[in-house]
Amino acid sequence: MARYIVRRILLAIPTLLTVLTLVFLLLRVAPGDPAVVILGQYASEETLQAFRERMGLNRPLWIQYLSFLSDLLRGNLGESLISGVPVAEQVRAALPYTLELTASGIFLGALFGVPLGVLTAVRRNSFVDYLGRTFSLAGLSVPAFFLGILLMYLLSIKLNLFPTLGAGSPGNLMDRLFHLTLPGLALGLVMTAYVTRMTRSAMLNVLREDYIRTARAKGLREQVVLYRHALRSALIPIISIIGIYSIVLLGSSVMVEIVFSRPGLGKIMLTAMKQRDYAVLQSVMVIYAAFAVLLNLLTDLLYGLVDPRIRYD
Amino acid sequence: MARRLLAGLFVALLLVSPTIPSQAQLAERQVLRIGFDAGDLRTLDPHMASATMDRAVVDMVFNGLLRFKPGDISQVEPDLASRYEVSSDGMTLTFTLRQGVRCHPFPGAPEGYELTSEDVVYSIAKSATPATSAYAGDMAPFTATAVDKYTVRVTLKRRVPNPERYLTNYSGGFIVCKRAVEALGDRFKTRPVGTGPFMFSEYVPGQKTVLVRNDRYFRGKPILERVEVWYMPDLSSREFALQRGELDAIEGPMEQPWVEKMRKVPNTVVDVFGPGETATLHFNITQEPLKRLRVRQAIAHALSRKELVAFVGPAIATPLFSPVPPELPGGLTEKEVTEAGLAYPTNRDYAKQLLREEGLPGGFSLDVIISERAQYRRPMENIQAQLRTVGINLNLKVVDHATFHAQIRQDLSPIVLYVAMRPSADIFLTQFYHSASTVRVGKAPITNFSHYSRVDRLIERAREATDPKEQVRLWKEAQLQILRDLAAYPLFVSKFVYARKPSVDWGHRLKSILALYPQIDETTRIVRR
Repeated sequence: MARYIVRRILLAIPTLLTVLTLVFLLLRVAPGDPAVVILGQYASEETLQAFRERMGLNRPLWIQYLSFLSDLLRGNLGESLISGVPVAEQVRAALPYTLELTASGIFLGALFGVPLGVLTAVRRNSFVDYLGRTFSLAGLSVPAFFLGILLMYLLSIKLNLFPTLGAGSPGNLMDRLFHLTLPGLALGLVMTAYVTRMTRSAMLNVLREDYIRTARAKGLREQVVLYRHALRSALIPIISIIGIYSIVLLGSSVMVEIVFSRPGLGKIMLTAMKQRDYAVLQSVMVIYAAFAVLLNLLTDLLYGLVDPRIRYD
Repeated sequence: MARRLLAGLFVALLLVSPTIPSQAQLAERQVLRIGFDAGDLRTLDPHMASATMDRAVVDMVFNGLLRFKPGDISQVEPDLASRYEVSSDGMTLTFTLRQGVRCHPFPGAPEGYELTSEDVVYSIAKSATPATSAYAGDMAPFTATAVDKYTVRVTLKRRVPNPERYLTNYSGGFIVCKRAVEALGDRFKTRPVGTGPFMFSEYVPGQKTVLVRNDRYFRGKPILERVEVWYMPDLSSREFALQRGELDAIEGPMEQPWVEKMRKVPNTVVDVFGPGETATLHFNITQEPLKRLRVRQAIAHALSRKELVAFVGPAIATPLFSPVPPELPGGLTEKEVTEAGLAYPTNRDYAKQLLREEGLPGGFSLDVIISERAQYRRPMENIQAQLRTVGINLNLKVVDHATFHAQIRQDLSPIVLYVAMRPSADIFLTQFYHSASTVRVGKAPITNFSHYSRVDRLIERAREATDPKEQVRLWKEAQLQILRDLAAYPLFVSKFVYARKPSVDWGHRLKSILALYPQIDETTRIVRR
């Protein structure tokens, strides 16, 4: 297992290198000048030039690239071109918020999606099935940020139940959870839709299998048949889809953070993109890529837990 | 007699009382939370800050030697300086500083320290240096020397019209505390230390900046205890937060439908204030077919400012006839432009005739770059529709705002819609119409998108003029020439829009503000409603 993990981490290096090279190049190819963004329309060419010089933006591209790589290898993410704040400091401050938001979405998705998927599969073509399918179709069609705005309108403005702003006081767990409810729900509902759909489909396939018929013929209770035999077999594709959509969810969290004015990596990334803050953007993109790789690895490791036949040699 | 006096006193008290902040009217919690259309701060170094949300913070933390009277740009009054004198030749300004003004505390100086001429000299030098200031171009002529601890002499390397306006609480005029800048180094960008009514307390990246009251503020203890500046790029989120009372004021888009919508929201007040920003079309007069005067005239006659203002919204836009807005000294009024026959009234048949005379009976097409921001894109779409009526097709290439600024400075758009405000006629005319400012090829390229060069001498003569009346005359003459040559076509002025709870009292009337936001000062307060 340990060798497998080490091998996967080593294999991730070329993936990350490709991502960061692409991000680095695309940012430089994209039009827009960080000097104009920060100094404004008012600044003279001399001032703009002085800024570019100071920030090293005038250096040849390959030198900028090598400097970025060598800094990264030494664990130095650099400093924001705009505010001068170290990127590592920004990431350290924002990461917990993004992780708690994404984790809450995944948790809610799994919590509601799996039972709903099983239910709709078992009650195939019933009213419950149609309702579940309609819900999952709606969830797949509506972007999380829009769902966030709807939830905010209904539960905050109309019913006055939840706050719309920020992530709560850092030291107050209840306040943090209170502020997390709506954004978590916005992501969780979308995740629930994905998981419901995949669970239903996986369960329908498994329920047609001979060993399920045999289990029923042996007189096993329906719940044992469903949860011990059918669901366990269906778990591999379900875990796979949760893994894949967790990465998608990480992407969706960007706009949810914006809508709920929460701090987070997504907000940092989007702001850096608008401001052409190369230093922040390329580092945050690498972190997102690293997360994607990590989530894939975790998904693969989970396979072994639910299916003992899988070996990591 | 005594009864009459008493009655008179009573009436006088009645008249005055609503303007005096009485303790009874004040809300218990003096916290103002304001949401800006921004993802995060950029820099709080006052000489580098150019974005609205940054300037709003800078304005609360720092002071200038002088200041625009809150809410009224027509009046400049002493601030850090208690008085000032201008030499007879207008080339030297001598400032006497207030004594006892204290810089906010910072690491290494827990009690702060007294601001003296050393800080003022340092600030003006910093503000005039390209590496440390975005406003170095404007501040370059200024040099300061300390006469004594509380006296500063500012000399001009060349004549500058209304030099005192550069030493105010705007752009490069903010005074920093030297020891704090040196002690904090790069951290000064996100941990500003000044002398203003509010002190920096906390910055939560991507979320908010918190300021607290400066109890030792030289104009008196501010009423607000705390100000929170929230960075919220999503408009719906700002609206919801205002409606729920999680914010007290928000920045709105410069759009009439939004103003109308928010005016209907209960318990909400919409502030629309100017002078705002001018929207002007700049034509590249070196490119075909725009290099031909009659083609530019055809465009001008095809356009209707009235239609454009109706489209943008009469609550926030007013027609503009002059390159420099009439609110600034030297700006032309509609009457002056009309009397000079340079208003170019809408006449689409005549526009078509002009195009025919230029051998373009079917019109022509141009690729034009425009920002995605509604403030730019929406008027440009209306201009596109208006010009189509005479056969002129603008193929709009909509790009993000950063790209727009980069590409127009690379001279990639033959027509540029530019939205801006500058503090004086000299800056307006120099930056947009002096040949040195021509994009890409000028000696000091900034925003002369027209490649225009016919009023250089007039701008320079106005700058050198010692008689204010002569100066204004020269500025007006330059503008009439610009309009005659149609290097640019002024369209409208759009005002700024903010929404707030009725409990927010800015402390002054928003008559005309050069800043892009309502200023929060020691008199701003939250009242009971």
